[in-house]
Amino acid sequence: MKLARTPIFTTLRLLALAFACTTPIAYADDYGDVNQMLQAGKLNEAMVKVESYLATKPADPQMRFLKGVIQRNLGKQAEAIATFTKLTEDYPELPEPYNNLAVLYAGQNQFDKARAALEMAIRTNPSYATAHENLGDVYARLASQAYNKALQLDGANPAVPPKLALIRELFGPNNKGQHPVAPALASAPKAAVAKPSTPAPTAPTAVVPAPPAATTAPVAAAKPAASDATAKEAKDVEEVVQAWARAWAAKDITAYLGAYGKEFDPAGKQSRAAWEAERRNRIVGKNAISVKLDNVNVTVNGSQAVAKFRQDYRSGALAVSSRKTLELLKTGNRWLIVKESTGN
Amino acid sequence: MKRHFIFLLFPALVGLAMSASAASHKKPTAKAKPTASARHQSAAKTKPVQSIKPPALANGDLAEARLLTIYQLMAKAQSFEALAKAEQLVKDHPHFQLAQLVYGDLLAARTRPVRVVGDVPEPLLTAGAPVLSELRDESQMRLKALRERPPAGALPSQFLALSARNKHAIAIDASRSRLYLLENRPTGLTLIADYYVSIGKSGLSKNAEGDLRTPMGVYFITSNLDPKSLKDFYGSGALPINYPNVLDSARGKTGGGIWLHGTPPSQFSRAPLATDGCVVLANPDLMALIRTVEVRTTPVVISQSLKWVTPNTARSESKPFEAALTAWQNAKSSGNMNQVLSFYSPSFNSNGKTLTQWTPSLRSELNKVQGRAIQLKDLSLLRWTDTADTMVVTFGEVADGTRTGPTKRQYWVRQGNNWKIFYEGVIG
Repeated sequence: MKLARTPIFTTLRLLALAFACTTPIAYADDYGDVNQMLQAGKLNEAMVKVESYLATKPADPQMRFLKGVIQRNLGKQAEAIATFTKLTEDYPELPEPYNNLAVLYAGQNQFDKARAALEMAIRTNPSYATAHENLGDVYARLASQAYNKALQLDGANPAVPPKLALIRELFGPNNKGQHPVAPALASAPKAAVAKPSTPAPTAPTAVVPAPPAATTAPVAAAKPAASDATAKEAKDVEEVVQAWARAWAAKDITAYLGAYGKEFDPAGKQSRAAWEAERRNRIVGKNAISVKLDNVNVTVNGSQAVAKFRQDYRSGALAVSSRKTLELLKTGNRWLIVKESTGN
Repeated sequence: MKRHFIFLLFPALVGLAMSASAASHKKPTAKAKPTASARHQSAAKTKPVQSIKPPALANGDLAEARLLTIYQLMAKAQSFEALAKAEQLVKDHPHFQLAQLVYGDLLAARTRPVRVVGDVPEPLLTAGAPVLSELRDESQMRLKALRERPPAGALPSQFLALSARNKHAIAIDASRSRLYLLENRPTGLTLIADYYVSIGKSGLSKNAEGDLRTPMGVYFITSNLDPKSLKDFYGSGALPINYPNVLDSARGKTGGGIWLHGTPPSQFSRAPLATDGCVVLANPDLMALIRTVEVRTTPVVISQSLKWVTPNTARSESKPFEAALTAWQNAKSSGNMNQVLSFYSPSFNSNGKTLTQWTPSLRSELNKVQGRAIQLKDLSLLRWTDTADTMVVTFGEVADGTRTGPTKRQYWVRQGNNWKIFYEGVIG
């Protein structure tokens, strides 16, 4: 079955906590078993289980993820890297494989690669705490490397690789990341980089003073709808968003894709055509889809609008609740989606 | 079909404790330092080459410009842009230590406040303190030279007059760790490039072999050494200068093998005071220099602090000396031996010959001229003033009725209001 290929799967980790707490959980037994073996250090046993599971569901990202963790714990770094790399290719919106890839690279002192992977993880999910913590560590290590080169200290004795947080499970009960960590990358300690003591030499006399180093506050997204006109626009936007969800549920692929503007840029490196083909494939192939939107909150700013809501998606074996943000642009008389992201 | 309700929550984070400060102590790398004897051996084996094929243009000068851009971005608190540019710079020049230091600061600034250039964490600070202070000096010197520019149209006061044969001139300012490259255009001397340089560990004013000082004075490039004959330590080439010159020898100075040369592969640039007496440039800068200057006719002034003057000032300052030179020229043209001899100092020495020993060759020259007027072609006047006021004079001496004559060099010294010759020789 195509369970694992469901596009929405990539957003599954955003399932509402409340859902998990109030509903009797039919925890996936296979995952749980593997996890237990992993925790108990029965790596080979766990691997057998993973392999047999993947024999029937080769695309399953969660099991593949666990496989990567097991490979890493078995000391098979290269294989683990391959596993997580493939996961990032197949599910570019998932931050966890990027994170673990970064941990593996960092373990090999490949901090540049680790940094790139972590920055991808954060781009995927800006509130992703683990990646932020790890990235901070990787920056520190890169700084240390640069300082070593600057001071010509012997790099032959590589420092103990940093202990970055590896994610053992793609999907676990401790929803740590659901609580966004305070510093998003942009507002991370972007410290007062001390000016070189004698700055800005080319400028004849004017020395540019360092402005306060603090970065700009997060852009204020929400502006209360000031006027009736704006309120009406907000209503229009909400209607467009609801129509988009209905088209998706009805598997009306033309209406669904028609909701996206030509400026829409798919996540990852996908081309627009590849993205459309994938969406078509994933939506039309389903037996039944249900998409319900809750707490739709629309802010309009001129010809731009942002709609945030909780999206409950069900299809076949999948039930996913996630936060979603759509950014829309008014083109002529129509509001069209130009950006789609999950998370807060 | 078995239904999986997959409750996909955020990952259980198994936080293996992180330690950002796990940097280890490391011993400094041993740098190859050539011994004096090794140096001279390699110099002796070295064949001068007249021209070498320049490698593909490398932009050492641009590396400094790029570093400057990064500083300016940092000053404007645009640390993201600065970081991206620093990352590219160290990728292109991994051995540019100062760039690595700044890159390290920009990375560190993502996780903690950075208060000074090279805000190196404690364990590294202990191990690398001397190098760190050198890198800060280098940063200061580069910025100083870029901030305090020579006035437009000005020239170093030593270059009183250059002939058309002196197509370029080099002036080194130790107070700015800077080498200025000037082109002698029909419109006058024009600054065309300047480069960060390192000089002797003990600074300027070389007196004796092994004193780790760079000579001060007026010199000429004597040859262009084949890089293939050089050890890695000297980088991509070397331009020896004629230290000790006549004045140095007269003062009893010793030592030799003073070159303008490049940096070893492991170092893009060296500290401001780092050499055994040579002047060291980044390899791309040295290559640009080698491609531009001429052997024998390119003067090299090395000074603690250059004084830049207008061409008019240079002309008026050379007037009194030119009067003395003309008087010597007239005396020689008249063929009056005693009158000519009055221009020569008792301390005269021409390649080991005292004035008495040298007088016969002067006499035979006068006999050849036979009272014909002599002309001074392609005159260049280089003035060096320290405790003494000296003039290095180069010209072609052509007697009327002949088409060519020898190229001569004289060293003059001012005694009160009189200028006296204390060296004269044919250089080509």
